[in-house]
Amino acid sequence: MPFILLDCDKCIPERMKHTYVYDPDEEIIPLCNVNTVPGDMTERGCAFAGSRGVVGGPVKDIIHMVHGPIGCAFYTWGTRRHLSDNDLHRRYCFSTDMQESDIVYGGERKLEKACLEAAEEFPQAKGIFIYTTCPTALIGDNIESVAKRVEEKIKKPVFAVNCPGFAGVSQSKGHHVFNVTFYRWLRKARERFPEKCMKEEEKTPYDVAIIGEYNMDWDLAVLNPLLEKIGCRVITVFTGNASLDDLFKLPDVKLNIVSCQRSAEYIAEMIKDGFDIPFVRVTMFGLSETTESLYEIARALDIPKERVDEIVKEEMEAIKPQLDYYREKLEGKTCMVYVGAPRTWHWIRAMKDLGIDYVVACTTFGHDEDYEKLNRNLKRAGLKGVLVIDAPNELELEEAIHRFKPDFMLTGLKERYLFRKYGVPTINSHSYEQGPYAAYRGFVNFARDIYKAACHPIWDVLRAGEGKFNSFRGG
Amino acid sequence: MGEICYVEKQRTVTINPNKTCQPIGAMWATLGVRRGIPFVQGSQGCCTYVRYTFNRHFREPVSIAVASFHEHAAVYGGMRNLVEGVFNLVARYDPDLVAVITTCSSETIGDDIEGFIRSARRKIAKELSEEKSKLPIVPVHCPSYKGSHVTGYDNASKAFVSTLAEKDEEKVPHKINIIPGFGVNPGDILEIKRMLDAFGLKEYEDYSVLFDISETLYQPLREPIGDLPYYPDGGTPVEEFVDAANAKATFALCRHAGGSGAQFLERRYGVQTFYGLPIGIKNTDEFLINIARVTGYEIPDKLLDERGKLIDAIADTVHYTMDTKVGIFGDPDFVIAISRFCCEMGMKPVVVNTQTPSKTYKQEMEAIAKEYDIDIEVQLSDLWDFEKSVKGKGIDLLIGHPRGGVKIAEDLGIGLVRIGFPIYDRVGHFRWPIVGYMGSLRLFDEIVNTILDTRIPWDQKQQ
Repeated sequence: MPFILLDCDKCIPERMKHTYVYDPDEEIIPLCNVNTVPGDMTERGCAFAGSRGVVGGPVKDIIHMVHGPIGCAFYTWGTRRHLSDNDLHRRYCFSTDMQESDIVYGGERKLEKACLEAAEEFPQAKGIFIYTTCPTALIGDNIESVAKRVEEKIKKPVFAVNCPGFAGVSQSKGHHVFNVTFYRWLRKARERFPEKCMKEEEKTPYDVAIIGEYNMDWDLAVLNPLLEKIGCRVITVFTGNASLDDLFKLPDVKLNIVSCQRSAEYIAEMIKDGFDIPFVRVTMFGLSETTESLYEIARALDIPKERVDEIVKEEMEAIKPQLDYYREKLEGKTCMVYVGAPRTWHWIRAMKDLGIDYVVACTTFGHDEDYEKLNRNLKRAGLKGVLVIDAPNELELEEAIHRFKPDFMLTGLKERYLFRKYGVPTINSHSYEQGPYAAYRGFVNFARDIYKAACHPIWDVLRAGEGKFNSFRGG
Repeated sequence: MGEICYVEKQRTVTINPNKTCQPIGAMWATLGVRRGIPFVQGSQGCCTYVRYTFNRHFREPVSIAVASFHEHAAVYGGMRNLVEGVFNLVARYDPDLVAVITTCSSETIGDDIEGFIRSARRKIAKELSEEKSKLPIVPVHCPSYKGSHVTGYDNASKAFVSTLAEKDEEKVPHKINIIPGFGVNPGDILEIKRMLDAFGLKEYEDYSVLFDISETLYQPLREPIGDLPYYPDGGTPVEEFVDAANAKATFALCRHAGGSGAQFLERRYGVQTFYGLPIGIKNTDEFLINIARVTGYEIPDKLLDERGKLIDAIADTVHYTMDTKVGIFGDPDFVIAISRFCCEMGMKPVVVNTQTPSKTYKQEMEAIAKEYDIDIEVQLSDLWDFEKSVKGKGIDLLIGHPRGGVKIAEDLGIGLVRIGFPIYDRVGHFRWPIVGYMGSLRLFDEIVNTILDTRIPWDQKQQ
């Protein structure tokens, strides 16, 4: 029976359908993307986080106006490391800071005034994104109509997205809502701001957009040059280091390259349906995955295979000495991976490139497709017996650590301090330690950071324990 | 001279807030309770964002449960989430105490928290045990659209003592309660305890620190733990909250974060209230004198020696500190205490900023301005107002949290001394005290070293 009920879940047996041990002969898809069990010490975030924090946040040259009490703006102020080359971005935080009377009487006028003032204080901003939060959605503020009025007054694009924290079951809902709302808005905004779209004579057959790439710790600093080397021209990125003006060009490219297939494939699908622009799914982590993805992109753009052969050879040679060093240190180790969703399956073969096996794989907000891809990659990596948990809560993660004893854990900030208390080294896999981690050159950093965590001498001191004090210690 | 210019935010928009919303304050307080777990009655982000923020500041694990509001709760209210959530939490974690912390969403919906808690108890009694259903559950109302994180802590302080404290007529009031307040770090609490220990006072017998995060958020890494679930050592035992009614006095170090709890104990049980964050000379003097007065214990000479060491250090550096212009921002109790300390060092707080509403901030700053004969711009506003103001004032140094200060300091080519919350770009601040004479001395060292690094040419440092 591949589904298992962990000891800690005896009083919440509904969690059993989320938990299985991977068996290549009996592949199953867990129950996923459903309500969280209240009070189970979930690690999930909210839809607002998915919308403001993940997808909208990286757009660099606009005012991100958070319409609600101050907390939601405060917590998204310069925290997620989706970096950019713009001074306005991540340094300033904008909010309507709703007070009790605003909740009682409605906050639309306050929002409009706040947007106008912010636009005046920061004339360099290229536009405004407005985000609702739980209470402003509950009181029914019509942010779309405010956006329209503000746009007319400031003559710059203003986009509003309705993504209260209680929408859906996790961050994932926020990604979806942002994608859909933005696409619909963009279609009409392109008519209002035709000058921002690409002219026919500016286009080339190799124009691409990267979708679902958020420039964590400057991943784009390795991705853009790599894609350019094989002959692509990166027109825009949805949404890492993106200028709002460049996002207007999304439907002007020849091909969309979809990196995060959970948070942004929606918009690639819609652009395909609406503008007949194809997309390819890629995994730009690790050697084997990156190489396969480059061939896929080249095929889609009719770039000669030889061009890619040459670049892959060049890149592999450049990183070989360093990577060999880290691989030698890491070979044979086991890991537990717990991130949002796609990276959990993106990294299976990347870890295999380093001689590392998964023993536990979890996602915060995976959907069916994520678990299909997870199973597929576990099979390709020749793994079995891997514990898979959908939307794990803290106690399940603790139990998994105890049962499977991984050598290290790829996870985020919330979990890292807990698991270090259990003696398990961790690597920040959301914002990275010292990235970029993408593609070939980033993979060296990734391997180095795993090595730094897993091979550090302090773990030996910890494991040696305090036995030597036995004859001398007091109470 | 000696005047303040009081500035309130005139804009509607808030740009770079110097505050966050209430729930985090109540969560901070609850994490200082032995085997106490906060339960957030709201959406998942209300819990997850706060956990991230604590993780960044303390570099420690933080367990906080959440009701996980989805659309159903937004439409029908959060009853099911609370009842099931608290039940699951108790069944799986067996905590000593749960604090149900509301959020703007549950307050806007109008959840009947007290009623829901009764239902949760019934479910626990029926399905777990009668005994477990009696565990202390403290409702803390935190409408995020009022006050700030400081208010959240303050509300928690009142909710805890009003729910838990019980008068024991047999007991002669003798011991003192300490309520540290939001932003008073583990290192500060340990320093407070060290000073009280120096008096000869014994923890739990003569004094107890309520909401004691000094161990729960500052845990050693020893032989890997085997027990599940993870609970840190330390924290205030629930009995100490019960016994708080039988104390002689409460020292609320932060008037704005803990004052309401102290006031409740005073009004209901006649426990005398003292305020004041012991940072700097005068504030620490007052703290120690009040402790001596209330307890009848003498101030040990060792502490006066430490006072002398602080004075000695200040006397040795007058040429670096005198008339140095400083901008200070943070929570009101910290801004007031640190402004005074800067004046004691001969520095001039030129602009100060807080964004937590306060009844005393203006008067306190007025008193400092008068006493030291300096003009101070006193802002109750966001940090965008602060940024614009300091940029025109020839400031030498900033004191505050990195989120507000790093970029301004970078623009001006001056230093930022980190105090407040959160501090995520340096290690160690949560374990270093800034209270008491020795804590002030550490803060002093950092202030002067920062001035030396950024303001004094190399050849003038070599004296």
